[in-house]
Amino acid sequence: MYPGSLAASDCIVFEGSNMAECHPVAFRWVMEGKRKGATLIHVDPRFTRTSALCDVYAPIRSGSDVAFLGGLINYVINSKRWNEEPFFREFVVNYTNAATIISDAFKDAEDLNGVFSGLEPYAGDPINGFIGQYNSESWQYARTQIGDQGRVAATAQSGEQPVPSGQAGQPADAPDTAQATPTGGPPTQTGQSGQAGQAQGGPAAEGGGTAGRAAATARSGEQPVQSGAQQAGQAEQVPDGPPYDALVRSLRKPEPRTDPTLRDPHTAFQILKRHFARYTPEMVERVTGCPRETFIKVAETLLDNSGPDKTSSFCYAVAWTQHTNGPQTISCAALLQLLLGNMGRPGGGVMALRGHATIQGSTDVPTLYHSIHGYMSHPSVLKKHDTLKDYLLTETLPTSYWANEPKFMVSYLKSMYGAAATPENDFGYGWHPRITGDHSHFPMFILMDQGKVRGAFMIGQNPATSINARLERRALGKLEWLVVKDNFETETAAFWYRSPEVQRGEVKPEDIKTEVFFLPSAQVAETEGSFTNTQRLLQWHEKAANPPGDCRSDAWFTYQLGKRLKAMYASSTEPRDEGFKALGWDYDMDAGTPGEHVEGEPDVHKILKEINGYETATGNHLKSFGDLKDDGSTTCASWIYSGVYPAPGQNRAASRKSLPPGTPERPDLEWGFAWPANRRVMYNRASARPDGKPWSERKKYIWWDGQKWTGYDVPDFPTNKPPDAKAKPGAIGLDAHSGTDPFIMKADGKGWIFAPTGLVDGPLPAHYEPAESPVQNPIYKQQTSPVYKRWAIADNNELAKVGDPNFPIVITTYRLTEHHLSGAMSRWNPWLAELQPELFIEMSPELAAEKGIANLDWVRITSPRASVRAKALVTRRMRPFTIDGKRVHQVGMPWHWGFQGVVTGDVTNELTALVGDPNVSIHEGKAFVCNVEKDTGGTV
Amino acid sequence: MPEAIPSTFFTRPPEWSWLIVWYFFLGGLAGGAAFIAAILELIGRPGDRPLIRVAYYIAFPAMVISTLLLIADLGRPERFWHMIVQSETARPAFKSWSPISFGAWLVGLFTIFTFIGFVRSFVEEGYLRWGWLADALRDLPGKLFAVLSGLLGLWVAGYTGVLLAVTNRPIWADTSFLGALFLLSGASTAAAALILAGHAMRPVPDASVHRLERLDTGVMLLELLALLALVFSLGVVARVWLSWWGALLVVGVVLAGILVPLALHARRRRFWPASVTAAVLVLIGGFLLRVVMVLSSEGIPYGG
Amino acid sequence: MAEPMGFFTDSTVCIGCKACEVACKEWNQLPATNGGQNTLSGDSYDNTRQLDGIHWRHVRFIEQFNEDRSQGRWLMNSDVCKHCVQAGCLEVCPTGAIIRTEFDTVVIQSDVCNGCRDCIPACPFGVIGMNPVSNTAQKCTLCYDRLKVGLEPACAKACPTDSINFGTIADLRQMAQDRVRKLRAEGESRAYLYGADPGMLGGLNAFFLLVDRPEVYGLPANPQLPSRNLGPNAVGATAAAVLAGIVGYFTLGRDRPEDRTREDRTGEEVRRA
Ligand SMILES: Nc1nc2c(c(=O)[nH]1)N[C@H]1C(S)=C(S)[C@@H](COP(=O)(O)OP(=O)(O)OC[C@H]3O[C@@H](n4cnc5c(=O)[nH]c(N)nc54)[C@H](O)[C@@H]3O)O[C@H]1N2
Ligand SMILES: Nc1nc2c(c(=O)[nH]1)N[C@H]1C(S)=C(S)[C@@H](COP(=O)(O)OP(=O)(O)OC[C@H]3O[C@@H](n4cnc5c(=O)[nH]c(N)nc54)[C@H](O)[C@@H]3O)O[C@H]1N2
Ligand code: SF4
Ligand code: SF4
Ligand code: SF4
Ligand code: SF4
Ligand code: SF4
Ligand SMILES: [Mo]
Repeated sequence: MYPGSLAASDCIVFEGSNMAECHPVAFRWVMEGKRKGATLIHVDPRFTRTSALCDVYAPIRSGSDVAFLGGLINYVINSKRWNEEPFFREFVVNYTNAATIISDAFKDAEDLNGVFSGLEPYAGDPINGFIGQYNSESWQYARTQIGDQGRVAATAQSGEQPVPSGQAGQPADAPDTAQATPTGGPPTQTGQSGQAGQAQGGPAAEGGGTAGRAAATARSGEQPVQSGAQQAGQAEQVPDGPPYDALVRSLRKPEPRTDPTLRDPHTAFQILKRHFARYTPEMVERVTGCPRETFIKVAETLLDNSGPDKTSSFCYAVAWTQHTNGPQTISCAALLQLLLGNMGRPGGGVMALRGHATIQGSTDVPTLYHSIHGYMSHPSVLKKHDTLKDYLLTETLPTSYWANEPKFMVSYLKSMYGAAATPENDFGYGWHPRITGDHSHFPMFILMDQGKVRGAFMIGQNPATSINARLERRALGKLEWLVVKDNFETETAAFWYRSPEVQRGEVKPEDIKTEVFFLPSAQVAETEGSFTNTQRLLQWHEKAANPPGDCRSDAWFTYQLGKRLKAMYASSTEPRDEGFKALGWDYDMDAGTPGEHVEGEPDVHKILKEINGYETATGNHLKSFGDLKDDGSTTCASWIYSGVYPAPGQNRAASRKSLPPGTPERPDLEWGFAWPANRRVMYNRASARPDGKPWSERKKYIWWDGQKWTGYDVPDFPTNKPPDAKAKPGAIGLDAHSGTDPFIMKADGKGWIFAPTGLVDGPLPAHYEPAESPVQNPIYKQQTSPVYKRWAIADNNELAKVGDPNFPIVITTYRLTEHHLSGAMSRWNPWLAELQPELFIEMSPELAAEKGIANLDWVRITSPRASVRAKALVTRRMRPFTIDGKRVHQVGMPWHWGFQGVVTGDVTNELTALVGDPNVSIHEGKAFVCNVEKDTGGTV
Repeated sequence: MPEAIPSTFFTRPPEWSWLIVWYFFLGGLAGGAAFIAAILELIGRPGDRPLIRVAYYIAFPAMVISTLLLIADLGRPERFWHMIVQSETARPAFKSWSPISFGAWLVGLFTIFTFIGFVRSFVEEGYLRWGWLADALRDLPGKLFAVLSGLLGLWVAGYTGVLLAVTNRPIWADTSFLGALFLLSGASTAAAALILAGHAMRPVPDASVHRLERLDTGVMLLELLALLALVFSLGVVARVWLSWWGALLVVGVVLAGILVPLALHARRRRFWPASVTAAVLVLIGGFLLRVVMVLSSEGIPYGG
Repeated sequence: MAEPMGFFTDSTVCIGCKACEVACKEWNQLPATNGGQNTLSGDSYDNTRQLDGIHWRHVRFIEQFNEDRSQGRWLMNSDVCKHCVQAGCLEVCPTGAIIRTEFDTVVIQSDVCNGCRDCIPACPFGVIGMNPVSNTAQKCTLCYDRLKVGLEPACAKACPTDSINFGTIADLRQMAQDRVRKLRAEGESRAYLYGADPGMLGGLNAFFLLVDRPEVYGLPANPQLPSRNLGPNAVGATAAAVLAGIVGYFTLGRDRPEDRTREDRTGEEVRRA
């Protein structure tokens, strides 16, 4: 969904997000909804500025969201309303895979003490961090033909484990993908490519490989029929070059078996019902600490505000992603929303509130290590990616819109290698770099710390504060050279002479051999370009002024670096350099381009044109990705963005027409450009009944007018495919879907309440305790996720054992409206600095009393990794929880401080550990343990 | 926060401190001196003549210092004249309803009067021997001049209290007796100053000094009444003085500054050291009164 | 004179983001407390603490939770100069620095002010303070410079939730009354308008929707004009003057026998002889 659509919600649940503080501007839509009578609910360990505006506040302990959401699912499907109001069943049976029958080889957490069938020890490279791994074979659909299960599913980790086959890449858009696959990678994509990514955000920036990887398996649920050998055999019959239709068709496989009555015990629905049966309100209270009555109030409110004429939405951000089971949490919400019929409809969905400005853009046009433009998998040595044909056989999803992947890929290769890319040379596929494993943030810094990385660029990130900071600073000190391109001399730029360890005398600057280059960066107002925000909306921004002095835009720097490197390699005769020499790299600004420009600044319109795509021969702009060809006659860097620049001088990202206020049900189609194809709500066919009529007048959005699909938004469905159309047997692409299959990016056209693939840690969400927890898991024998990531090879990465008396307190970390992330952009600004000048720790009066701490006292916070100092902010907005009968205190710290800037403070991230989610490698920054004591050290 | 906090507690202090305290004290002293001079001029004895001169020897310098203190206290001293002439329109800046505005005029005017009185005193004592000046001053309608400068004097002494009252600050704006109190205190401190002068210089007849003492006694009694009335009029706000300020008020102002001098004046047998002590105490008490009244309110932050 | 303009600040939709504070500082180029090196106040999320010469908007945070948290609210409200129709500051200003504009707003002209600081205690709301840079008294100008060119005030522009509404007083009062009615209907019985009624200093051109007593938000229940004290104090002073005069007449006017000094007596004896 998109934020504007929140104004059309009847109930908005903020869980895992502090929207009012972190997305204050988008929150205006929420306020519009509230003014119109929407009920607001906040589920958070702290009573925040968001809670202050909500009608219901449900306190829960950090790290217990799956228990809370699972409880909602259990409550909903057993409620009177859900079973009596026909809408729910109609939506679920037709639009989700509830009726699909799952292989009887599948064993649920119910049967195996909290783990799923297929758990194996992890054999791969330790740099990938797994403590275990799942073989998802037994999670697959049961199909009309026996013997379809023959193939190992690609997992989200396909970047890090050998996988014979499986597809990757899917539009990483939280809401929409959330809609697509409740259990799916997609939600995690935003959850993480949006946020988790940021956590790991290597120089590749926030995107974090995760998106793609999650996506990778988002689709790999549908496995080609043949075994590897068979495939090889089959490969013979399909041509090596374009057209690739035969190749795609060869990947088709039998239909899954279904039971629309949902009675078969092997239907996804029955499995799910059994799975969540133990998530009773009592259990929710035991695990989360949320009073039963409050929980039930939330459940009832959601039920009352879902149905044919009501919709409810969820808003989350990194408090769902920054856990060892982050993606599962998001999946759980999406699953609940599918059951409530809140997907693909106005005011419904799961709203992922992403982080940095244009972080969505940085995952679309990816800075992700594991995927290439448009969420296609990055060619990998660990998968069968040897030739373009192998790649397409492995990655293409024959049914669904992804059947067009050959067109996307070939057009992409044309944009990489231009004229040098020919059918004869596989369009230069052989030149394309391959990945060899997890190259995300943590592995990168661990290798750095082991002295295996010689140089690094830190462009637009400040890792010396942003995660397990001590280790990261030490790693930086092992580099030969470090380039920091930033607007301020950040902690990362100054680590070698100002870090706490240097100040404490433990490290001497002269012992740090790293040569640090600081390149001053232009500010956003000094550059022209586009932002892609959380709703996939591209918005163009003009340049207000040229940057001062030596400051240069990131585009200038990247382009000029590329040009200089190409000049260096021009004379090389090494075969391995051919690709780099062939690389298209010509964005010079033509003489006489209007406006004042810094010498050497590339022409961003040329870049936009390449992203949008054009006819190779004529250079005419493409109108949409519908025009893409798989024979090289079209060139397009990022298929999902195609259509943003349909003609010279027609930049739709710069379009600024908006509707009169007060019509929240109608999207502003003339304001910016939302990929794909300017759609605002994806899978919006679900906003109409199976027969094509709106579910209700109040919630009408897209409908079938007798000849075509029409409505307020761009229909996300073949415009002329009638609701009663049948799936064409043996067809590929969308012809393989019927007129009632809204989720066109999914192989079966359904929203997944059970995910055969897409997530490496199970087809259904299950509550696991965080890697560090003061209590035993009250729900399962299994304490933590059996497959989460822990980089044991990194030192200073110890974990507290369960219930460790030395670290009895649950701590979480978060943001303040007044600051931005590592604080570089806010602590240097006096106007912001004075608003929140000092690092503090929020704690309840009850804990303060136990510890003899008074408001504003200096407090020492200790985790198994490190200890930091902060001032106590004692407030009743914090409260102790009773977890499984035991009193558990929760504290919280913002993490905006560091040793540079107008105001400084200890780095909260000294405390965090290198543990993460197995799908997306995002760190668990939202729930770990610590101890707090009054600090006698006095002030520093 | 307790129920029903008086509204004056939601205001901010102007940060008027020692400069203003001294100004209030000296202004009161000068005003009182002119007032006493006036009465002596009207109904005094020939023997009082020197006292009248002393009164102006005190008043004029006091007013000069006061004016300087006032200007020094401004955020932008170079713009002091903006209070008299509106800087943009060049029209006179005068607001009859704003004590600080008419006060500015008052101070100016009164300073001129004290200056004239000051010069005349010199001439009378024969220090300045310019005939024309002597003539001019002799022609000066003495009684009229005395009355005018006396009234202006009282006004200056009193307006300083009104200035504080015409705000929204705790204590200051919570009573109607500040004007009266400062006026009376001004008169009594002036009397005390003249008493000291009387003792210091000959030939001032003891009689004159004794009459001044009786004046002071009467004025101090009135001052005591005004102070009591003020405390009662404050109501709950008076709680502010359940503090060192209160202690200073009782011990410094009431006991040392009023009651002890009253007692000393009341003694039948005359003994000059007692009279001197009383006078000194009155001066100190008068100063402490300004200290307590100004600073105890200044100390109350926004929100009480 | 243009139509009276002002603010309706609806505290019930304020998210305490302080964008208004920052937008004001940026537009008016106001300095930060101690160059930004402020201290944590410990009073909820409020660290700028009050309105003064360098804080022309101030967001107040009020935490109201009972012991067991069964009841809890976190109130926020963005305070500002009220641009009183009867303005205490304007009343006392001796230099004419404080003026009423064509928009019926109250503005301090920094180039006229001489820093006498009388307006500071005169303001019933504690709005004004000295600006250390100009050494003059300063406060919200209701963005007079922006209004003159038809722009809305910076703080209102920045407010993401429309807690700060800018417009003509007539429209704002209408909007505010509707909002109160709606809130009451939804069960928020405590909702009321502070300062919208001419009964308060002729009506505040910046008024507020609150859900608790004014004092809770740091606002006086009964703000008044300083001039209310002029009459009584003048009378008191005059009475004191008269009494002082009478005392003077009776004490300085007559001798008492005991005053007679030796010289005086010998003088009489000589006469008798
Ligand atoms: N002003 C401001 N805005 C920002 C940013 C900023 O730094 N400053 N950062 C931007 C970026 S990069 C991002 S990613 C987003 C992040 O946006 P958010 O995710 O909303 O921000 P956080 O403050 O990290 O976490 C939100 C809330 O999660 C709560 N929480 C902690 N643990 C748990 C848990 O286990 N369960 C639940 N349900 N809640 C929990 C915290 O108490 C906190 O209130 O914000 C973006 N917007
Ligand atoms: N404990 C804990 N740790 C966390 C989180 C948490 O919630 N808790 N959140 C995680 C999340 S969601 C995120 S996004 C990361 C953020 O971690 P980082 O991205 O490392 O932190 P930022 O402060 O956003 O760094 C952005 C840098 O880019 C600079 N910059 C701004 N504009 C430009 C530009 O145009 N060009 C260039 N070259 N530089 C520019 C800024 O000055 C700043 O130094 O932190 C993660 N770490
Ligand atoms: S900081 Fe930028 S992105 Fe964040 S809410 Fe404000 S305007 Fe939006
Ligand atoms: S609120 Fe104070 S400063 Fe503002 S107009 Fe009224 S009296 Fe003047
Ligand atoms: S400080 Fe300036 S604005 Fe205030 S009253 Fe004095 S002159 Fe007027
Ligand atoms: S109106 Fe202008 S001056 Fe007044 S608070 Fe708002 S931004 Fe500041
Ligand atoms: S900008 Fe608006 S919402 Fe934010 S604090 Fe100010 S008034 Fe409240
Ligand atoms: Mo983020």
